[in-house]
Amino acid sequence: MALSILGVAVGVAVVVGIDLANTSARTAFKLSTETVAGRATHALVAGNGQLSDSVFTSLRVDVGYRDSAPAIEGSVRMGAPDGQVVQVLGIDPLAEEPFRSFTGGPQSNLNLGRFMGQVPAVLLSEPTASRLSLSEGSSFSVWKEGREVELVIEGFLPSDSDLDAAALDNLLITDISTAQALLAMPGELTRIDLILPDSPADEAVIQEIKSWLPANVELRAAATRTGTLDQMTRAFSLNLTAMSLLALVVGMFLIYNTMTFSVVQRRPLLGRLRAVGVTRREMVWMVLGEAAMIGTVGSIIGVAGGVLLGNALVGLVTQTINDLYFVVRIRELDLSMWTLLKGMAVGLGSTILSALPPAREATRTSPSMVLKRSTSESSTREKIPSLLIAGLGLLVLGAAILWLSGQSIAWSYLGILAVILAFACWTPPLVLWGARLMRPVLGRFFGIIGRMGASGIEQSLSRSAIAVVALTIAVSATTGVGVMVDSFRTTVNTWLTYSLEADIYISPPGDVFRRNDATILKTAEESIRTAPGVAEVYSVRTARVTIDGRESDLIVTEPRPRELEPGRYKSRMSGDHRSAMRERDVVMVSEPYAFLYNVDVGDTLEIVTKTGPTPFEVGAIYYDYASDLGLVQMTRSRYDIHFDDPLVSGLAVYVETGLDPSAITEDLRTRTASIQGLNIRSNRDLRQASLDVFDQTFTVTTVLRLLAILVAFVGVLTALMALQLERSRELAVLRANGMTPGQVGRMITVQTSSMGLLAGILSVPLGLVLAWLLIYVINQRSFGWTLQFQIDGAILLQAVLLAIVAAALAAIYPAISMGKTNPTEALRTE
Amino acid sequence: MRRSLNKMQNARLPMAGMAVAWLLVVGVVIAGCGTAPTPENQDEPLELAAAMGGDTLGYARADQVREFDFPTDYGAHPDYKTEWWYFTGNLFSDEGRRFGYEMVVFRTAMAPEDTTQTPIASDWTTRQLYMGHFSLADPETGDFHAFERFSRGGAGLAGAESPPFRIWLNDWTMASMDAFNPDELFPIRLQAQEDGVAIDLTLNAIKPIVLQGDRGWDPKGAGAGNASYYYSFTRMETTGTVTIPDGTFDITGQSWKDHEWSTSALGPDETGWDWFALQLDDGRDIMYYQLRREDGSVSPFTGGSFIEVDGSKRHLTTGEVELIVLDTWQSDVSGAEYPVRWELNIPAEDLALEISAVQPNQELNVSVRYWEGAVDISGRYGDQPASGVGYVELTGYDTQQLPQ
Repeated sequence: MALSILGVAVGVAVVVGIDLANTSARTAFKLSTETVAGRATHALVAGNGQLSDSVFTSLRVDVGYRDSAPAIEGSVRMGAPDGQVVQVLGIDPLAEEPFRSFTGGPQSNLNLGRFMGQVPAVLLSEPTASRLSLSEGSSFSVWKEGREVELVIEGFLPSDSDLDAAALDNLLITDISTAQALLAMPGELTRIDLILPDSPADEAVIQEIKSWLPANVELRAAATRTGTLDQMTRAFSLNLTAMSLLALVVGMFLIYNTMTFSVVQRRPLLGRLRAVGVTRREMVWMVLGEAAMIGTVGSIIGVAGGVLLGNALVGLVTQTINDLYFVVRIRELDLSMWTLLKGMAVGLGSTILSALPPAREATRTSPSMVLKRSTSESSTREKIPSLLIAGLGLLVLGAAILWLSGQSIAWSYLGILAVILAFACWTPPLVLWGARLMRPVLGRFFGIIGRMGASGIEQSLSRSAIAVVALTIAVSATTGVGVMVDSFRTTVNTWLTYSLEADIYISPPGDVFRRNDATILKTAEESIRTAPGVAEVYSVRTARVTIDGRESDLIVTEPRPRELEPGRYKSRMSGDHRSAMRERDVVMVSEPYAFLYNVDVGDTLEIVTKTGPTPFEVGAIYYDYASDLGLVQMTRSRYDIHFDDPLVSGLAVYVETGLDPSAITEDLRTRTASIQGLNIRSNRDLRQASLDVFDQTFTVTTVLRLLAILVAFVGVLTALMALQLERSRELAVLRANGMTPGQVGRMITVQTSSMGLLAGILSVPLGLVLAWLLIYVINQRSFGWTLQFQIDGAILLQAVLLAIVAAALAAIYPAISMGKTNPTEALRTE
Repeated sequence: MRRSLNKMQNARLPMAGMAVAWLLVVGVVIAGCGTAPTPENQDEPLELAAAMGGDTLGYARADQVREFDFPTDYGAHPDYKTEWWYFTGNLFSDEGRRFGYEMVVFRTAMAPEDTTQTPIASDWTTRQLYMGHFSLADPETGDFHAFERFSRGGAGLAGAESPPFRIWLNDWTMASMDAFNPDELFPIRLQAQEDGVAIDLTLNAIKPIVLQGDRGWDPKGAGAGNASYYYSFTRMETTGTVTIPDGTFDITGQSWKDHEWSTSALGPDETGWDWFALQLDDGRDIMYYQLRREDGSVSPFTGGSFIEVDGSKRHLTTGEVELIVLDTWQSDVSGAEYPVRWELNIPAEDLALEISAVQPNQELNVSVRYWEGAVDISGRYGDQPASGVGYVELTGYDTQQLPQ
């Protein structure tokens, strides 16, 4: 009983934990965007990523629209080049009143003269300041793209505002002037916030603004920002949720197992109850009531555990989001009541659902059959043909769902669930046959004890099969995910090897690893380009621009002349697309981009440049694993024509033949140290750093794999306990007939380890099927990546060993306790 | 503020009307940082002296008579702490509607130039804060429209330049219209609009510039630098349009302009003032203000000037003008009680005038509340009947804002 509660609890905890981590990340983003957007209904943003502040001046002076406020957003790191990321919001205090209340309040003693550019003044929340051990008036340093900047705390943000205290966490408010200097955005804004009237009568105002807008500027509803988050992390969050549900599925088998056990164990009692006139309906309610109790207690413990787990996971999840998508400054767990209730409902619901078959079994108990223990087992055996058919049906169903579900990830997971259930149906017959096959083998090695152990599996098939199913699913999930991650990693590694050709890579420290749009100072760039030993230098620039109406990453490269390697491209235009990209408005898109937005070679993308939306032809689709959001690549020569942005985000350096790249790396570090703190890495170091981030993004996955195994372990433990408890009289008879406790223990160990071995072996095909589905269905439908299916024998072997070890560990307690059983005690009831 | 009295002995003198209001607002803005003038923060008692007596260290001072350099001096003097450009006038439409308008832009330096510190390199960096007031009285309906706005003096959002003369605060502008001769101040175009209320006026001076005080240097009290630089155009022919929610009206009328800059501060015992800008139909103009002190007495800094048709002026000294309040009006908004009808006598000129507000409600409910409104004039000058129009400014009556 306690174990089944534990089973429910672990299942629920994983689901709740993941859900909390997901919703917290979402809430954090929403909170921080809402905090900085304030009461704005719309915003003006530049499609080419460069919004001139003269647009705001013109809006105020020429158009005369006063419900408008300039804003600059960015992030810096506290104290050190790799310190904590904090968000910077630059505002004009005199335009703020309708939008935000950061600089308001009669109690505020903000000195406008100092704030508006006389000193690098910032405001921050008091809790943030005290956490950073900073007091009012003190100065502190922040790092931006490898430059150190000194800031002064001019005051604290009003704490009595209607904002959540967490909303102000790690937020620096500063004047537009300071923000422009700090974030190296001279003459630029991030956006212009607007409050537009929503009455149709004022439509004219909106039309006037629209008709005045410069070509590169667009009007967006404020709500679209939160939408961006959903869009960016949709696949990521959904896959996490699916993984968490896997733990619950394993947990459900566990509950089913426990409830069946509890029914079987009390069959005599149930029979007697039936005999004294308890109706079938009442018995169903009795069993379900019991399940409800287990479900409730388990769910409560599970929800509590989920909160603890969520606390641990939210850091991992936000870190991953931070590495891949955008800066997350709020890392607090958001305890949404909805999530907790959902966890309760899932726990309770799945418990009752799992208890339905045992409840039905209880009602079938006819009073005269109560003492025939074999009934249940033989009924299980009788069910084998129908189980095989059910399994086949589920497999067909699963395949049909996978086939028909198009790009839907949720449906795809449902299809995978059906496939898993099909395997679950096939497991009892496979266990049966497996046990029969193993009987002579075990008999050879362990004699009578071995044969008895194997027979035990067969005899108590209803329970042993469930335990094997739970273990198989858990282990195969591990295998499946393991193989998928391994395939992914191998693919990425191969890709990195051929993508990273230069000897040295240089980039400023950014805030989001995979989308670094930080820039290198011109002086630093010059110093690198002219350094001795440097043969060739090629630049890359990452810019956020609007492409086909969506904010996307544009990668601007200065390609090195080299052989065309067809292996790098998924498809490309006839002729040399690379010279086309230099000479005409031709770009290439990454595989995920082509997948996400259904773009093909020859299509036209509308990219917002300094002169407004401009058509570009897609010349090629290239393999890329750097971004799941998709990338568009343009050559520097076209970029310089269409954008007013001379900066670069990275440099690739080739050293002169014969020179030692590591010596040059050191030299470049020394040369640039006083100008800008840059990441200067050798080819190998950058590849390692990329793989480290790759591994880090799968940390959550690894945690989930371990949790699924934990659930399975608990399942095996319960199943075995049940099995052995039920056999206590049989064991007592064996003991009475002269079997030593050691022999009993050995028999139990042999039996459970065999079950583990069976589970391990069965998990291999299922694991491979899962891996295949994850790579070719889930990954394809989530991200559109082409991955090489890579089977590492070690992972499979690990899985089998894992199953055996888990089973063997689960045998320890029953073996000891059964060995200690006093036969007379156990037989007293006879 | 707009009136200057020379030869006043007392140590400190308020600049006139809106100056105090302005500095109070700066106080509010610095304290409240641009928050809306909600009733709460308006009720915050502000120490008048504290608001006025800001640090003057590091600012240029109006400490001697200077040679004015027009058209440059029509623009801003950023090294002085405070400066304003002030337009008021009475406007009449052909249909017989009349309006009173006030449009003013204030500039304040929030900090003196600090040579020891390098300001942030950005177009937005500024020490200058701009405030604008725009009001329109509509006696036919009794409506009184008043608006206030703020902006930094950076990033092209607000500023004051000359030549060519252009003062702007977002889309409110006061600018010379002479595109061919940038040095020429007139005609001036005033444009202000908010919430369906707007003025678009063209002003042409019909009387010459008046340098107030001593050749435009207007000592406010004893001690070097307690003074302002101050000049006026007391009569400008005005044409253009006035827009109210009911429609747009072509109007003609007369305007008055004051431009003053200084770094001086207000004496601690002054609580407010009544200021009169009167344009008589015979072409003479009178400027007179009376400072009220805490004990209810009239400050010795009270005074004014009498401007002849040809622009020549004579000082009106304390005691030369007799002012009697005939009627008052209480504001529903602030509860303040303002005089709205007066008898003004200048015995030396044999002048006796009755001045009445064109409508009682001309209170500007802005950061610092005050009353600034159009008035009608009737009476006699010698044995001739006298009549005219004018503008009156009343400050310090909102006791919630100005503690006694």
